[in-house]
Amino acid sequence: MQVVVLLAGVVDPKWRLDRLALRPGAALVDETGLPRRLGPFDEAALETALKLRDADPAVRATAVLVGGPEDDALLRAVSAFRPHRAFRFGGAATSLWDPRAAVRLLGAAVAAAAERPDLVLMGREFGDGDDGTLPPALAEARGWRFCGLAHAVTLAGDGTVALRRMRGPREEILRLRPPVLASVTNDRGNRLRHPLLKHVMLARRAPVEAIAPPPEAGEGAPALALRGIAAVPPPPRGGGACRLLTGPIETQVEELATLLRRWRAVGEG
Amino acid sequence: MRRVCALVPLGDPAIADPFAAVAAAAAVAARGGGQASAILLAREARRGDAALAQAAREGAAEILRAAHPALPEAPQAEHLLAAFAHLLRTEARDGLFILPAGPVGEELAARLALRLDAVPLGRCTDIAWEGRTLLARRPAYGGRAEARLATEATLCLAAMRRPAAAAAPAGGAPAVRAVTLDVALPGDLEPPGVAEPAADAPRRPEGARIVVAGGRGMGGAEGFAQLRELAALLDGAVGASLPAVDAGWAAVAQQVGQSGAFVAPELYLAFGLSGTAQHLAGIGPGTRIVAVNPDPEAEIFRVAELGLVAPWQEVLPRLIGRLRRA
Ligand SMILES: Cc1cc2nc3c(=O)[nH]c(=O)nc-3n(C[C@H](O)[C@H](O)[C@H](O)COP(=O)(O)OP(=O)(O)OC[C@H]3O[C@@H](n4cnc5c(N)ncnc54)[C@H](O)[C@@H]3O)c2cc1C
Repeated sequence: MQVVVLLAGVVDPKWRLDRLALRPGAALVDETGLPRRLGPFDEAALETALKLRDADPAVRATAVLVGGPEDDALLRAVSAFRPHRAFRFGGAATSLWDPRAAVRLLGAAVAAAAERPDLVLMGREFGDGDDGTLPPALAEARGWRFCGLAHAVTLAGDGTVALRRMRGPREEILRLRPPVLASVTNDRGNRLRHPLLKHVMLARRAPVEAIAPPPEAGEGAPALALRGIAAVPPPPRGGGACRLLTGPIETQVEELATLLRRWRAVGEG
Repeated sequence: MRRVCALVPLGDPAIADPFAAVAAAAAVAARGGGQASAILLAREARRGDAALAQAAREGAAEILRAAHPALPEAPQAEHLLAAFAHLLRTEARDGLFILPAGPVGEELAARLALRLDAVPLGRCTDIAWEGRTLLARRPAYGGRAEARLATEATLCLAAMRRPAAAAAPAGGAPAVRAVTLDVALPGDLEPPGVAEPAADAPRRPEGARIVVAGGRGMGGAEGFAQLRELAALLDGAVGASLPAVDAGWAAVAQQVGQSGAFVAPELYLAFGLSGTAQHLAGIGPGTRIVAVNPDPEAEIFRVAELGLVAPWQEVLPRLIGRLRRA
């Protein structure tokens, strides 16, 4: 059973993006000086792959970090979790903004990991530029079965993949025959474990494996071009000024209770 | 001005607001000086009557009612894809097609685009044309940045939320056409199993008039038990931030944000939430926020209307006690 987990990485969400802009003359975002880390959904996808590996010796788990040399430190962090293999796929100008080009690149990344993948895992959003388009687009392009927003994935004895997801008001359990692509959402059950310190140290010293995409993966003019990027403040709301309550806590809570009682009465009336 | 058309899958309980697509298409078309059309897809034509009226109200000037008798009662994405792909191939070879934002609509938009050799635009907040070039805006970096994207493609698919301001309804009655589809639907799909809902399964935050939400500052399951108690007293639902879901204090379906539920209640009570862009992206612009947080510098107070600078432990038990007595 070949399990391939595709990882994108994100800019550390704690860092401000004020200076985010395109590189001069290029449709690439300049992230100079912004540290990168695994996103919460990368982590959930990676943990899902590790759990499958732990549960079944027949599983071979390969982690592929899609990105350029600036992501080598991140790849080392991934290697510390000891998937069977971890490599970086992409060059300095890796861009995922055009979904059709991105899907060619990601398809090549999976092919470099496994000739016949059974299960491909990705975060529900693939990196900072994706809003959930890339996983279903990749599945569609390759003709793989797709399950979006899975929060638990197991292998059933009959060779199918069992996936749990919330779909509107209900929790669905899908049993899909490979090849399957699942986009993974965060849940208590797939919170990324901590790597062993000795593995972290080993990964720091080990050489990183990097694979350049085949030329045909980058062919063709982009169908969708990135024209600009800028940090945006959260939209203003509530008239701008927050009224902070003061005085003894009992009085503050009473004021909030009064507001809620009134609000409840309006709803009932 | 290109054709702007909403794709509306009807009867799927997983799509909270299918007509958001029509309202969004009408708004996009109106800004370009045109009118939107809509394709309504259901199992039976009958189901279309009320839908027809609503699509017209939301601004569709031209409506195609498509019925496919072989659609299952609870269609899977593969069924909807096959039907919509057929409709687009036969009825419309170019244009901008808009699906309702949300897991189902967004999956359909992405997969339809790939299937039809079109350009997927993702979940857009704005779409306009500059000559022949389509310009789309959408959030990136977890909602902290906005990307501007351009394409010359003539067939594009996007997902959109209901716009804040509704477009004026199209003047006069819409032109309506009906088709019955017989395109083959994938027949070998096992229907998904449905997990038995737990007796204490939480109410979903979507659609609630009041959401009582907790974040990492709640520190544990005990705080969330109190949030549930407060929500019950107010006939509301409990929401959570991503770290709270990761910690197991709340269920996956309760996650609010850029990557979670989008809620637009009248009131949002935020306990132990710092107010990150990723979280706020899941709260409707018209919602009033009340925040409880011991850190007076917390970002949440920049967007809240009312704030209590205090730990939840000092507020929640007292508040629950008072409301219970009332
Ligand atoms: C790609 C991506 C997508 C994301 N999508 C989402 C999303 O959809 N939804 C989401 O929520 N997050 C999302 N996140 C995570 C986001 O970056 C933040 O980590 C998260 O929103 C922070 O949640 P929080 O406010 O609960 O925690 P924190 O930011 O840690 O804030 C905790 C707050 O609790 C306060 N506090 C401490 N003690 C108490 C007390 N006793 N009583 C009351 N308050 C107290 C603190 O002062 C602090 O302000 C995403 C991140 C990424 C990278």
